[in-house]
Amino acid sequence: MPGIVCIYPFGLGRENWKIARFVYYGLLALQHRGSESCSIITFDKEFNVISKKGSVDEAFNEEILKTLSGFIGAGLVSPKENDLPITVSSPKRLILIYDGKPNLDKNRIEAWRAFAEILSDEIYRTKDSLEAATKVLQEVDGGYSFVALTEDQEVIIARDKYGVKPLEIGSLGFDLGAVVSETSALDVLGMDHVSTVKPGEVIKFDPYSIERRQVERRANHRYCSFEYVYLARPDSAVNGISIYQVREKIGEVLAKERSIEADIVIGVPETAIPFAIGYSKASGVKMSLGFITTGRRVRTALKPSFFERLVGVQLKLNPIKEVVDGKDVVLIDDSVVRGTTLRNTVWNLKKKGARKVHVLIGSPPLCSPCPYGEEIPPPDELVARSLSEKEIAEVVGADTFHFLTLEGLTKAIGLPSNALCLSCWMRGERT
Amino acid sequence: MKVLGVGGGSREHAIAKAVARSSYSPKIYWISELRNPGIYKLVKKSGGEYLLGSINDAELIASQAERWKVDLVVIGPEEPNFHGVPDEVEARGIPCIGAKRSLSIVEMSKAEMRRLQWIYNIPGKLLFQTYRSYSEALENLKRYSNTLTWLQNVALKPARQAGGKGVKVVEDIQAYLHSEKQSFKERHIMWLENYMKTYRDIEEKILVEEKVWGPEYTLQCFVDGKTVVGMPLVQDNKHAYDFDIGPETGGMGSYTGSGLLLPFITMEEYQRSLEIVKSMVDAIQKTTGDKYRGFIAGQMMLTEIEGPTLIEMYSRLGDPEGVNVLALLETDIIEIFEAMIDERLSKVKVRFSEKATVVKAVAPKGYPDFKSLAKNHPISVDEGVIEKAGCELYWGSANLKESGEIVTGGSRTLELLALGENPPEASERIERCLEQKPIEFLDGWGFFYRSDIGSKEMIMRRRVLAERVRRLYKYREGRGILGKRLDWLPKVGKIDPVKTLLDNLRAMR
Repeated sequence: MPGIVCIYPFGLGRENWKIARFVYYGLLALQHRGSESCSIITFDKEFNVISKKGSVDEAFNEEILKTLSGFIGAGLVSPKENDLPITVSSPKRLILIYDGKPNLDKNRIEAWRAFAEILSDEIYRTKDSLEAATKVLQEVDGGYSFVALTEDQEVIIARDKYGVKPLEIGSLGFDLGAVVSETSALDVLGMDHVSTVKPGEVIKFDPYSIERRQVERRANHRYCSFEYVYLARPDSAVNGISIYQVREKIGEVLAKERSIEADIVIGVPETAIPFAIGYSKASGVKMSLGFITTGRRVRTALKPSFFERLVGVQLKLNPIKEVVDGKDVVLIDDSVVRGTTLRNTVWNLKKKGARKVHVLIGSPPLCSPCPYGEEIPPPDELVARSLSEKEIAEVVGADTFHFLTLEGLTKAIGLPSNALCLSCWMRGERT
Repeated sequence: MKVLGVGGGSREHAIAKAVARSSYSPKIYWISELRNPGIYKLVKKSGGEYLLGSINDAELIASQAERWKVDLVVIGPEEPNFHGVPDEVEARGIPCIGAKRSLSIVEMSKAEMRRLQWIYNIPGKLLFQTYRSYSEALENLKRYSNTLTWLQNVALKPARQAGGKGVKVVEDIQAYLHSEKQSFKERHIMWLENYMKTYRDIEEKILVEEKVWGPEYTLQCFVDGKTVVGMPLVQDNKHAYDFDIGPETGGMGSYTGSGLLLPFITMEEYQRSLEIVKSMVDAIQKTTGDKYRGFIAGQMMLTEIEGPTLIEMYSRLGDPEGVNVLALLETDIIEIFEAMIDERLSKVKVRFSEKATVVKAVAPKGYPDFKSLAKNHPISVDEGVIEKAGCELYWGSANLKESGEIVTGGSRTLELLALGENPPEASERIERCLEQKPIEFLDGWGFFYRSDIGSKEMIMRRRVLAERVRRLYKYREGRGILGKRLDWLPKVGKIDPVKTLLDNLRAMR
């Protein structure tokens, strides 16, 4: 689920822009898509690439930004340490940043390297980047989005035929074009959101034009449903659908699917807050602020080790005693992977005086690995794959425990199930 | 009947077409700098003559009009107006459709236009400042750089109409990107100052205007000195590339809805826009004592602060907007011209077809900012394919050489027009036409056009924007604060920028 940013100036005086800071703030807005590695690329006469471990504001400071010259810029954040921009030096020199996975190799990084090399060969052979990228997109299946910068100051932007991974287009004044994983990055940069890259669409920016081409459309899209439940920021729109609205709707659907007698509903910050709002609206159960966070925001589920996740959760979730003391509580969380952190949370609530804790999850059971490289633990580490809802309730110490149903999820997104990728919620493994 | 036209772009080709289909069957004469292949054909067919020469040479044009004994002259572009071509033609007793030099100031000087609007208190105004030099502008922008006055979000423009070039909009709201934007602003002002050095007919070089947002539209009118007749609204698209990205051009394509309105503008807004243009015509006529005869256009925007707002004025038809409206014009254009000459425009029923139109411009790569790259490429166009696809060809910046070869002139090479029940249908028609590749650059140089002009997505986006702005300005209107602005500076206190501006204007006079 890496986050992609690319900023491209057009027209007279385009070399006057110093673009690194735009990339930096674009990446900061996409930090929720991963904070294990972070890269900024700029182009002056040559590519300058700086890749670092950790989050954007840890990795880059004023000093580095000041020295990074260049008027074309791009960047990548990822939850994986080894997700770095891929450079191909010949036959056509290019740099590729990416989200998802093309079906070229079992190993995701190897698959992307192969993809970048094919693209480089094809551009060299056809002398036409748009045609080359169209051909590659036509032939390589998978679920992916990418941006490639070539040595000729071209930027190639594309989404796979099914549109699994998001990609959006923005504009600033008469000068800048932008490509980002999510629209919220455009907001942060003060840019207008002007279009969604369509599934199977290739767009090329060069110093003198923007060109587009559409490869043969697939009958159905396969938009990643995980984006709506968990990955994307609530102030983003993915494929033209507001993330916040989907999440509020999930809460409403949960209220309809599970009628629970309770005093209050609380959401686990931050992803599950909109679920709780929707739940409260539909059920009439009062919503309260349940937790206060210590330290900086971290997406705990994305942390690589169990210990880091637990530390993350404990810091993130200090219950407000007065809110839960003596109450029957509906606790809503976004997903359950291993169940270990949830157990900790429920225990904490009870210790602070909660009488009953009913847990609702704003997504269906997570059962299978992602065919496109999303970071999901192996099947034998997924609690939903091994235990029933009743058993999970017992394990985490909740009075009741329920997942959102798959039908509930598609209903909340508002798309038919054959327009969505639902692989991770399916028991059968599909690739 | 003999008609002389001046100018060589697609708009002029559209004027020539309209003249050619007149029931007066006029002989058509033409003067332009490059030989427009489309106009040339019409001229030859009518039995007229085509002369290559400077369109700003008033003496040349007036004496040619005398020599050819034409009944009227029609001016296409703005520069001949600025150079007094209509004045010289009329001085020789030949009627001219074109704003005289003194009147065309509403287009030539963006600052003068804005001053006129403030002095006569005509609705739809913007705050502005002018500067004679880079250092003057810079000093002023810097003085307020740490405060939230309107100078933080500005459009930087050449103070004189300069071929639609040089406009930059710098919205500087994100404090964390301030230094980047500030330094870009400074460099652009420096560039503007250099660019404006070539224009010696104006003292103020740089115009800074408050930045506004909202959907834009063009209202073009016929004027006879007494009556202003509005045409159907057109939406032009200034960004060079798809999605409204890229540098400002003269216009990469435009569309009309069906009837007078665009899908996102109401009748009330149309009427208010027309009132603004009418008031501007009155104001400039009063100031100069001259009668305005010709085309005039308000390039408008719906803004939160004022509702229908005047961004700029044209002393001519827009290009491409002129192509849209002339394709819809059902009344004989010569009849309209004659009425304009006799000041009886109010008696003529000017009719337009109810169909929607879309125009898309095709330009060589390099346009608009690197025109030297875009020049002199040989081009071949299969007119049969275009006609079969139900589209119309309007030649623009192209030169038909003696040898019969056509080469690009560096600006928009040609425009394609299609009619339809609605803009998306017309837009699709042009797309289908271009898919058959009727246009070929024979030296392999690339060209571009905007596939999104008039598309459903584009119109939806404009509609959403218009509704958002309309809610805001209607609210202001309801509270009686339309056009009101207020700033507050620490240690200075409340500032009414409108009052400051008016005080300055008074002091100037």
